[in-house]
Amino acid sequence: MWYEFFTFEIKYRLKRPETYVFFLFLFLFSVVGVEFVFQGIELGLVGKNSPLVIAKTMGAITGLSMIIASMIMGVPILRDFQYGIASLIYVNPVSKSSYLMGRFLGSFVVLLIIFSGVLWGMILGEFMPWADRSEYLPFQFVNYLQPFLWVAFPLLFFGASVFFVTGALSKKLMVVYTQGLIIFVLFMLTKGITNETLQALLDPFSLTTLSKVSKEWSVNDRNTLLIPVSGIMLLNKLFWVGLGLAVLAIGYFRFQLVVLIEKSSNKKQKLKSAAHSGQNQKSLPVIIPVYHWKAQFVQLFLNAWFHCQSILKLTSFWAIIVCCFVIILVNSLSLGTSYGVDSYPTTYLIIEELQEMSLYFFMIILAFYSGEIMWKEKDVNLDLIHYSSPLSSFVNVSSRFLALLLIYAIVMVSLIVGGILFQTLHGYYQYELDVYFFGFFLEIFPFLALYTMAALFFQALTGNKFIGILATIAFAAINVAIGIFGLEHVMINFGGQSLARYSDMNGYGHFLTGYLWVKAYWVLFGTMVLILTSILMVRGKETKLKKRFTRGLAQMGKPLITFSLVCVGLFLVAGGYIFYNTNVLNEFWTDQQKNSFRFEYEQTLKQFEYTPQPKIVDVNLIIDLFPSERAYEIAGTYVVTNSSPTPIGEIHIQKLIESKVRLTDVVFDRVVTPNTRFEKYDYTIYKLGQALAPGDSMKMNFRQTFRPDGFESNDSGTDVVYNGTFFDNAVLPAFGYQRKIELQDAADREGFGLAPRLYKASRDDQEELHNARTGSDSDGITLDLLISTETPQTALTSGDLIGQWTENNRSYYHYKTDQRIINFYPFVSANYEVLRDSCMPSGNSQQDYVDLEIYYQEGHEYNLSRMMESMKHSLDYYSTNFSPYQYRQLRIVEFPRYRSFAQSLPSIIPFSEATGFVMDIDDHKGVDMVYYITAHEVAHQWWGLQLEAANVQGQHMILETLAQYAAMMVFKEKYPDEKVQQFLQLQLDDYREARLKSSKEEVPLALVENESHLYYNKGAISMYELQERIGEDHVNLALQHFLEDWRSFNNPQKPKRYSTTMDLIQYFREVAPDSVQYVITDLFEEVNSLE
Amino acid sequence: MDNLIITNLSKTYNNGVKALQNVSLQIPKGMFGLLGPNGAGKSTLMRIIATLQEADAGVIQLGNINVREHHHELRKVLGYLPQQFGVYPKLSPEMLLDHLAVLKGIIHRAERKELVQALLHKVNLFEVRKQKLGGFSGGMKQRFGIAQALLNNPKLLIVDEPTAGLDPVERNRFYNLLSEVSEQTIVILSTHIVDDVKELCTSMAIINQGNVIVQGHPLQIMENLNGRVYEKTIQKNELGQYKKEYQVISDRLYLGKQIIHVISYTHPGANFKPIEASLEDVYMSQITHA
Repeated sequence: MWYEFFTFEIKYRLKRPETYVFFLFLFLFSVVGVEFVFQGIELGLVGKNSPLVIAKTMGAITGLSMIIASMIMGVPILRDFQYGIASLIYVNPVSKSSYLMGRFLGSFVVLLIIFSGVLWGMILGEFMPWADRSEYLPFQFVNYLQPFLWVAFPLLFFGASVFFVTGALSKKLMVVYTQGLIIFVLFMLTKGITNETLQALLDPFSLTTLSKVSKEWSVNDRNTLLIPVSGIMLLNKLFWVGLGLAVLAIGYFRFQLVVLIEKSSNKKQKLKSAAHSGQNQKSLPVIIPVYHWKAQFVQLFLNAWFHCQSILKLTSFWAIIVCCFVIILVNSLSLGTSYGVDSYPTTYLIIEELQEMSLYFFMIILAFYSGEIMWKEKDVNLDLIHYSSPLSSFVNVSSRFLALLLIYAIVMVSLIVGGILFQTLHGYYQYELDVYFFGFFLEIFPFLALYTMAALFFQALTGNKFIGILATIAFAAINVAIGIFGLEHVMINFGGQSLARYSDMNGYGHFLTGYLWVKAYWVLFGTMVLILTSILMVRGKETKLKKRFTRGLAQMGKPLITFSLVCVGLFLVAGGYIFYNTNVLNEFWTDQQKNSFRFEYEQTLKQFEYTPQPKIVDVNLIIDLFPSERAYEIAGTYVVTNSSPTPIGEIHIQKLIESKVRLTDVVFDRVVTPNTRFEKYDYTIYKLGQALAPGDSMKMNFRQTFRPDGFESNDSGTDVVYNGTFFDNAVLPAFGYQRKIELQDAADREGFGLAPRLYKASRDDQEELHNARTGSDSDGITLDLLISTETPQTALTSGDLIGQWTENNRSYYHYKTDQRIINFYPFVSANYEVLRDSCMPSGNSQQDYVDLEIYYQEGHEYNLSRMMESMKHSLDYYSTNFSPYQYRQLRIVEFPRYRSFAQSLPSIIPFSEATGFVMDIDDHKGVDMVYYITAHEVAHQWWGLQLEAANVQGQHMILETLAQYAAMMVFKEKYPDEKVQQFLQLQLDDYREARLKSSKEEVPLALVENESHLYYNKGAISMYELQERIGEDHVNLALQHFLEDWRSFNNPQKPKRYSTTMDLIQYFREVAPDSVQYVITDLFEEVNSLE
Repeated sequence: MDNLIITNLSKTYNNGVKALQNVSLQIPKGMFGLLGPNGAGKSTLMRIIATLQEADAGVIQLGNINVREHHHELRKVLGYLPQQFGVYPKLSPEMLLDHLAVLKGIIHRAERKELVQALLHKVNLFEVRKQKLGGFSGGMKQRFGIAQALLNNPKLLIVDEPTAGLDPVERNRFYNLLSEVSEQTIVILSTHIVDDVKELCTSMAIINQGNVIVQGHPLQIMENLNGRVYEKTIQKNELGQYKKEYQVISDRLYLGKQIIHVISYTHPGANFKPIEASLEDVYMSQITHA
């Protein structure tokens, strides 16, 4: 008997179109599954078809697609009730067990067939033409099959059991829709569990379990081992399969073969019996219905409210909302930013957390309730009555659209209230309601509105709720993919760009204008889609698409036609205006074009890479900043010297490649003939009438202006902004070939037939040994800089402030260096508060005070004292142990969080708003990273600014690793050993994590190129180890000698080249006893994986 | 008041079923009965008139409204009660009526409230106006259905098999309501129950297999058959024999005996009793002929 139900179920499913749609969906999705799941995660040397990667991908796709499982498994019993056939079946002598078993097994087999799409899709993905074979291991079927059977299958079984039983017991379709989501919520909840083992055990998708299992695996293990059927993995699977079996058992006992289950009678409403007698003879009031446009507006809003209320009354909706809040509550308990340190719950951080976490739920609400709301009349069979009303089709569709928007707004307001509560509970009372409001209603709301329009359209187009929902999800996925595949222009990429990050300093800055225009453009597009939706909307019994379209078109009223034409018109106007801005006023380059340009640049100009060019020795600039226009004007003079042994007959000038930057009036103190053959690359060769002899100097004058016009397609310019301008001298005219313009990415280079680029030259490269930076134009300069900005902003750069005045509402600052500095200085301007102090570094020989200043955004006072203290301690320690501090001031200046780093330039340290200013340091639990980072940056005033390293392998060990060491020593003086150990543990964790993702074989520290996990994290650990073994004093002594011999300025003994790690290690060896020489070898010259 | 004039309306479904073939009808104000067996094409015709389905050919004209071209204009004056319909189970009749009134262009809150209250009184649902529709009986739901169809004071009211499943008391009340409405309005009532038409309608049509077989005033239609209908009580096993010999239009059981009606221009003799032609006889003669 059960077999009859079993085969019936399979036959029934095979006839249904959803079965094939689901299969195809999973199949196609899985073809790009690995790319989707591992997006932005470096796999390094681990193959894309290694069992572990396949298992994780399968787990994630299966988990994400639980909703499909729900739609298959939830309905077999429910269907009998829906179609009213249950009574016909239940009167037969069927046993409960054969009925349930047949239905369950039949559906489950179909479910497996559908989900086998994941298996086949992923296999096919490996053989797609775009797959890069070098990222894959040789194909092995078992690598796919084993994870499918061991990871996906048990998960499907659990899902199938739960969905089947809840569907059978609840007999509610909406429950079937939402339960797929609930499992996902469960998964998210396990993310909040801090106990790793428990988390691995309870993760329904086994993703954290897989991570835990493979934590100790080497790259080779990852590539070869199948998923273990033991340990925590086994426990996890047993747990969930067991739970599935338990649910099935409960379902079996609770289910009854009856059609109507009596509920407790008090719940049933008692109908007052309507009086039989006395027909009411009162005649009806005569009310004339109205249909003018005002009436339509009233209809629009009343209907929107009606639909909105009906969603608000749904249990499923509240289930989603409760889940959403639970997840946010669990997750935002840690507002982790960098270095494992929490931040203050500032509004913009809270809002970013809320945005990120709620977006998934908004998308769920969007996809599902757009389906619900479009078919709600049909679902209760009220559709014919509804359609026969004279409601305009467009008003009808729009009111549903508005209702969904209203739902989003309500959820957003509650999220905002939640955010404020969270802040209050954390004792933070600076609620910025405007930031909250804009964060949701400016950033997320338009995005949701556009996707809702699309979702409603897909509902109308497909004429089927399920398929419409799937089409919506597929559309969203495709859009993400398209963004990656190079349809970059905001006018083509659906919905346009997202808004730049909000910054306390700069608000939304200049990004807002372009953003709003593009959103207006897409909203007009969406309105046209909405009109099309109203045309296509099923009305009455016609379901064929073509018929609906012709019929809908024919029934369009005059006002709607006018409205459509107005929309088309405005759409074209907005589009035209955007195009004018992005492609006429500005240049639009696709990534492909940019890459080609870089390729051609390299092909054409590489020949000049080491053509001798003069070095800058003196810089004199007058720079006027216009932050409100995001513009600058620079008049500059370089004094350049020929430091090469041969006369220089040609000066090669590379202008900054940016369309709105103009370089004019390039004048030399002698006759020149410009050669504009390479104008395309903004590269001009000036032939000198009289060559520059070795050792001779000459002057070069220039003017450079930057004046943006309109907005760009994907504006990422953050150099000059309304408040928080920060850029450096890299924008100024440079000499000769610029290697930084070359194509960087190895894959891109391969596409053009170029060999991969060396990140650093080898330690015996004679050219680069004489360069302290890539393409360096100088071996040290003196700087005289007059910088002006709009009052009340403060303008800053390196050097002593020797003059300051205000004129015509502009503030002028005159800076001048009293010594040579490296050719690296910033231009900073913002509306700052200032904290001033001074100190006398204990190791300085002259008894001069150093002025300490922190320029910060009002409201970011939290960590100023930590920074100030760190500056003082650092100056003391470094001046005592390395060499005196060379400048008369040290400034920290805050810049907007578009970029998040801190950087050391001569006597000035630009420090990102995102790094340190809002960190909430808990001295019990956390590490004082503000103190540490400050110390690290101050150390660069020595390592980098006093002593430069040659631009070869190991350069970063000298610059960064020594700065890490220095900072640790300062840190160690203030904080107890346990904090130091905590810090070292952080470094170890970061190093280990990065090592797994690295696609390069690890090199010894002394040969490090651009691997930040080596020169920062491993470097810190290695240096700490070194000073433990040979003593802090010895290390300092070595560094002191090293600095003395190799410092860049005031050092007549310095060899012509710059220092390398070979030199540095020699200094270490000199201070270390013979017995520990091997330690130095181990730590720096060999690959030691710190196990 | 304007008549509803249907000319040469045809509709063939994709599966080849000819639901309507050159249907032409003239429907004046008052109650119009559309009689036909299950599957005759009644509902298709009504849905086409109600603009919920497209015809392949033909013209429908209500006064100066060309119905097939101007759906919207027709919907403004249309009341429609489909054969089957559902409601939102969690809403009260008051709320749902209010919602539907908005759809029908009654946008002033006070007016809408007054109208909804009056209608609820009229269909005797006022007492239960706050209760959930999900708990309503078939008759109450049907009364709710007619209330919503009357919201916009329609010129054309279409009710598709409204009394199926109603008990006699409910049915009577329903018809009283309809006949009251029909004083001002064209009411098209589709049914397969002959008595309904006989009791209510001032004009009617019989439709079978997509064709209009006869239309006119019920009395006139019956007149045509008068004097030609005969009745006889026979044994059950003789039925086959009689069907061969006579034009039997109906057979039914009465107290265990078989009674047949036959049509004949001459007296068929042998215990046949001439009877007054009923509407049912007309109906049966028409549909068995076909």
